[in-house]
Amino acid sequence: MRTLQGTPGSPGVAVAPAWIFSRAALDLPEEPVEDPDAEVERLRDSAEQVAADLDARAAKAEGELAEVLEAQAMMARDPEMIDVAAEAVRKERTPAARAVVDAGETYAEALQSSESEYMAARASDVRDVCARIARRLVGADDTFSQMSQRSVVVADELPPADVGELNRDLVAGIATAQGSRTSHTAIVARALGIPAVVGLGEVEVDPTDEIAVDGDSGQIFVQPDEKTRSEIEGRAARAEDRRRHLIERAASLEGDTRTRDGHRIEVAVNVATEVELKAGLEAGAEGVGLFRTELLYLDRTNAPSRAEQSEAVRSLLGLLDGKRLVIRTFDFGADKPVPFLNLPSEENPAMGVRGVRLARDQPELLDDQLAAIADAASSGDRIAIMAPMVATAEEARWFVERVERAEMEAEVGVMLEVPAAIFMAEEIAEVCDFLSIGTNDLTQYLFAADRQNGRLGSFQDHFAPALLRAVKTVCDAADGRAWVGVCGEAAADPLWAMVAAGLGVEELSMGPEAVLEMRVSLSESTMHGCRAAADAALQASDAGGARRAAEDALG
Amino acid sequence: MPEQEVTLDNEVGLHARPAAVFAKKAASFDCDIKLVKDGNEANAKSIMSVLKLDVTKGDAVTIRAEGDGAEEALSDLVELVGSL
Repeated sequence: MRTLQGTPGSPGVAVAPAWIFSRAALDLPEEPVEDPDAEVERLRDSAEQVAADLDARAAKAEGELAEVLEAQAMMARDPEMIDVAAEAVRKERTPAARAVVDAGETYAEALQSSESEYMAARASDVRDVCARIARRLVGADDTFSQMSQRSVVVADELPPADVGELNRDLVAGIATAQGSRTSHTAIVARALGIPAVVGLGEVEVDPTDEIAVDGDSGQIFVQPDEKTRSEIEGRAARAEDRRRHLIERAASLEGDTRTRDGHRIEVAVNVATEVELKAGLEAGAEGVGLFRTELLYLDRTNAPSRAEQSEAVRSLLGLLDGKRLVIRTFDFGADKPVPFLNLPSEENPAMGVRGVRLARDQPELLDDQLAAIADAASSGDRIAIMAPMVATAEEARWFVERVERAEMEAEVGVMLEVPAAIFMAEEIAEVCDFLSIGTNDLTQYLFAADRQNGRLGSFQDHFAPALLRAVKTVCDAADGRAWVGVCGEAAADPLWAMVAAGLGVEELSMGPEAVLEMRVSLSESTMHGCRAAADAALQASDAGGARRAAEDALG
Repeated sequence: MPEQEVTLDNEVGLHARPAAVFAKKAASFDCDIKLVKDGNEANAKSIMSVLKLDVTKGDAVTIRAEGDGAEEALSDLVELVGSL
């Protein structure tokens, strides 16, 4: 047995035979070709067909994925790469499929040796494009359609074009050498509920190997020994039992989520992409509590057009069919790369010109986004718009006025993630329809503890009494003025959610994978119990104590 | 043959999207266009060739054009790099 450590990409465990997704899975012909000119012709035709196919996929995709696919289409048409491959066909009589893979490899290797993460990612884009052309040349089926039994997909990196085609009945788990928790593969795997480990560095396995994936610890086991195998199988079986049990318990749920004593608590989903929204709705999400719009802007050399932004909003509204969509206006600054803005670098970007601060600095950016949202809205849609990083009531007023000027029917709110805003929640609630507490950033700022710094991880416990008291302060201040939601990671924890409901939170928004369990847990609770849990947790002096107190109070 | 040196000032360098934008623009001209960094030459119309140069923020690159419309291609591309 070999154990490899990577990054947890999507929770859960699975054991299954490896299904290797790479150009190695392709049987490349070796026989010298008889008619090089005809072979070059085939090469050019296949490359053009692949480029056209990628263009078509790009047209259907959105945001970052669309741009990656467009860049890949350009790679398939790359005049230099095609010439290099064509020369190998003419001079060495190399079959075109092999020639194009070899040509791509010389570029990919050069890119991979770059220190930049961007470039390494482009190396896998190049390999993917050349493998697609080769597959077309040898008449092989496209990628996942060849998979016939339930398997763990092992890949260097799953190309964006293929991630969307993952079939959760056949793909038991995913293990990739590249990628991080925020890469496209991880996002889609979480949305589909497929266990995944990413960023393994290197995964060398044989097609005959059995692979155990532990998406919770971020480990994979190649040819697991009996003990590991049965442990993983046991966990997988228990998870499956729990899932089945959840579905059974959820079967009686209809429509809105209510506690047993009849209090409505809205369970919503956090999304950046359509695939997450589809998964959330399937699990019964009652709306979107946080639409992160940054994907449209990041890594771009020019601002996304109003039409493009509008289309992204419209695609979500179409799926929501009258359910509420809470849109967070762009939340970036020096902490995230937005090339077209040319923002000066800052000493301390987490506390710099970001969110609503950047919007005030460059109001035309915000106006453009608001106009795009207004374009997307039609009658019957329920839209809510909120500003990130609001610190003062004056900023909240400014934002509300800006949205009013865009002339659309929408609720207007702000995110509460800056401690100063907690203390001014009453004044802020006066001018808003709703307040949404972003627990991740709020915790970071409350404790002055960088959330990216692993050594300070213990500060990120959402049961910290300081955070619970902040939530209570907000709920008390907003009472009768505005509704309160929570959209941080804390909102995905059923026990925490019950405490929050007891404090007065009316809406909880979480990743799609957490929606079903949350609806079931809240439906089986009572508001009476939630309030008792909240009172008990508030009295604790540390996070562990607060968690235990809440558990005890709920029995 | 007309050539001009420019310094890349955008945050992520000539990677991914910027490289795609640059190569697409270059491909719209008939003349031969090269992008040169540290003596290494890339075909400006080839996105992969441009990516391989690994141009990052602050790098000085030379754009060299030869053939029909070289002057126009050069000034357009220099302007484009400045706006990336």
